[in-house]
Amino acid sequence: MKPLLYSEKVSFTYPQTHRSCGPLSLSLRQGESALVHGPSGGGKSTLARCLAGLIPHLYHGQMTGDVWIGDHNTKEMRSWEIAREVGFVFQNPATQMVASTVEDELLFGLENLGLPGEEIKTRLDFVVDQFDLNSFLKRSPHTLSGGEQQKLSLAAIIAMQPSVLIMDEPLSMLDSSAAYEFIDLLKEQLEEGKSLVFFEHRLPYLQDFPSLKRIPLGIAGNEQTGSQIPSLPYPEKAGAFSIHVQGLTVSFGKKKILNDLNLEFEGGQLVALIGRNGSGKTTLLRSLAGLQPFEGTIHVIGDGQDESDFPQLNMVFQNPDTQLFNPTGEEILYKIQSPNLELYEWLIQALKLEKYQETQPLLLSEGEKRRLALAIAIMHPHHHGILLDEPSLGQDQAHKDLLIELLKTISRAGYLVFFATHDIELAANADRMILIGEKGIIADGPTRNILQNHNAWQQAGLILPHWIAP
Amino acid sequence: MKWKKRKPYISTDLEEASPLRNFDPRAKLFLSLCASVVVMLPLQRLVIFLGIYILFIIWSRLFFRFLTQLDKIKWILIILFIVDWLVVSLQLAVEVTLRLTVITSVFTVLISTTTPGELALALERLGLPYRFAFSIKLAFQSLGMLEQEWQAIWEAQKSRGVLSDIMNIRTIFTKLGDLVSLTVPAIVLATKQAWVITESATARGFDSPMRKPYHQLSFTTRDWVLSIISAGLVATLIFWR
Repeated sequence: MKPLLYSEKVSFTYPQTHRSCGPLSLSLRQGESALVHGPSGGGKSTLARCLAGLIPHLYHGQMTGDVWIGDHNTKEMRSWEIAREVGFVFQNPATQMVASTVEDELLFGLENLGLPGEEIKTRLDFVVDQFDLNSFLKRSPHTLSGGEQQKLSLAAIIAMQPSVLIMDEPLSMLDSSAAYEFIDLLKEQLEEGKSLVFFEHRLPYLQDFPSLKRIPLGIAGNEQTGSQIPSLPYPEKAGAFSIHVQGLTVSFGKKKILNDLNLEFEGGQLVALIGRNGSGKTTLLRSLAGLQPFEGTIHVIGDGQDESDFPQLNMVFQNPDTQLFNPTGEEILYKIQSPNLELYEWLIQALKLEKYQETQPLLLSEGEKRRLALAIAIMHPHHHGILLDEPSLGQDQAHKDLLIELLKTISRAGYLVFFATHDIELAANADRMILIGEKGIIADGPTRNILQNHNAWQQAGLILPHWIAP
Repeated sequence: MKWKKRKPYISTDLEEASPLRNFDPRAKLFLSLCASVVVMLPLQRLVIFLGIYILFIIWSRLFFRFLTQLDKIKWILIILFIVDWLVVSLQLAVEVTLRLTVITSVFTVLISTTTPGELALALERLGLPYRFAFSIKLAFQSLGMLEQEWQAIWEAQKSRGVLSDIMNIRTIFTKLGDLVSLTVPAIVLATKQAWVITESATARGFDSPMRKPYHQLSFTTRDWVLSIISAGLVATLIFWR
């Protein structure tokens, strides 16, 4: 049987940064699947685009090697011809939607195929039924949860009936339940004879995936890896304090996102907040950062504070692009009067940013930008600690290890470190875990206890992966 | 404190209950074109048109939406009115304010009753190449998202103390350079978003020469009636002596 997808020593070099990735060789027959894995910054997304034909058709740069779809070389095909054979699932489903309703999103690719109306109707009905999208059809894709959006993006591609599916970190934005549901849908596609290629960090989720070839990618990228942080102690110590959240309620119109939450935090704690997409994790962090108006009270006691004082917690946002505009070094020190240069040196060393101090943010990889955003939040004066929203998004294990070591170091210096995540592996490293659901806090306590509380996970609508041992 | 979710400056939610929702988007585009011509007329005729147009908006069940939209731009209207009055004359101030009000109402009627997809289809049927119609559709669709991103940038910069200086009225002129902290991320995010959409559309055969739209438009009697009334009203206002 001839391979459906074949690539031989494919690599790509970007003209501006001269970053290169690859080579990747791969051969997939009908009903086979492959998992390409490697470190952050190693070029997985770029190589996924090479296989899907977006490179060389959309990107400038030097591509070496060839990709064959059946008998055709992608360099000689037009991009719409490639789209008939190869479907591409992007990392962030929210940003890739082209239509204003779910139905139009599904129709977009079908219309481009030039199919007759009856055939479009048949295929539309089929995917709506298969992916259980009937109740969403007239809704805007942007009102769906992350899991629903990823399901929709897959359905829109499956409707086009490509023979190969290429996926660039399709699980990275999903909570554990949505990830398992998505994998089940992909298993069905494999059984129907499609060939699948995953470019993914969250490897354990795919460990039972049928007929999966594992293809490790060498460290051809320029990003440093490793989990060593400086052995020096964190240069600043915090005084003793506690933060009290009482009756915290946040409403968007008539809908209560957070309802009468009561929480207490101590300086020196490393706390993970876990919940399904849309459970109010980000809203809770924003409230603590003073960015979100709310009902109730949040105040800090100790460390020479009045009881009415609001805690000073710096926030690391999910998307680092919202705040970067200076070269790395300047960005970290921007607007800080009398900066602690000892802390600066410690940070750039710990976050492996030394060689990028003069680099513009546009030229940094996603992982480097995330580390820079973390450095900004830590460097900015904070008396009580930092808040992080999905800090491990798109990070490989080495960078997650580095991140958790850094967070532990900061919490050991007496600061509160509170992070919201759907990455249960990352959360398992925290001292304390809070499970949040639609009706509020489901469980709160030492991480070990929470990981053993199966009833709480069930109530939160989350599946606790079996490889995470309490 | 109770937080009321801030409504976007330009709401792209559809008004399903409006009778105009079922009209052909080409008829609504023609109506908008006619109203845009009227904007150039002298004050007296502008007032007559606005009176008739408001009755039409009430019939279309869009009056509340129209008021909401006016409320959102009230400061622009007030400032323009005062500046024109002080600098030129009261008549010009009234004219400019009314013209802006008419344009707002036209825009409200169109986007409250037409999806971006319908608008693109109408433009395509009117002879605009699909590539351009699709771009206009995306621009409409992205209004809400751009506003959300602007909000996210604002918050991210505020949380690191960058914006407190910008918003201090005493230092605003000396600190204009700091506005780069908002504009650079905004440009980066908008460019990235545009690129992702390009990739997503290309990966689904956007440039296929074989494309056939699934939905069809039909210009029925009511669309003809609306178009003829629009043209007749504009012609009367222009040529009436």
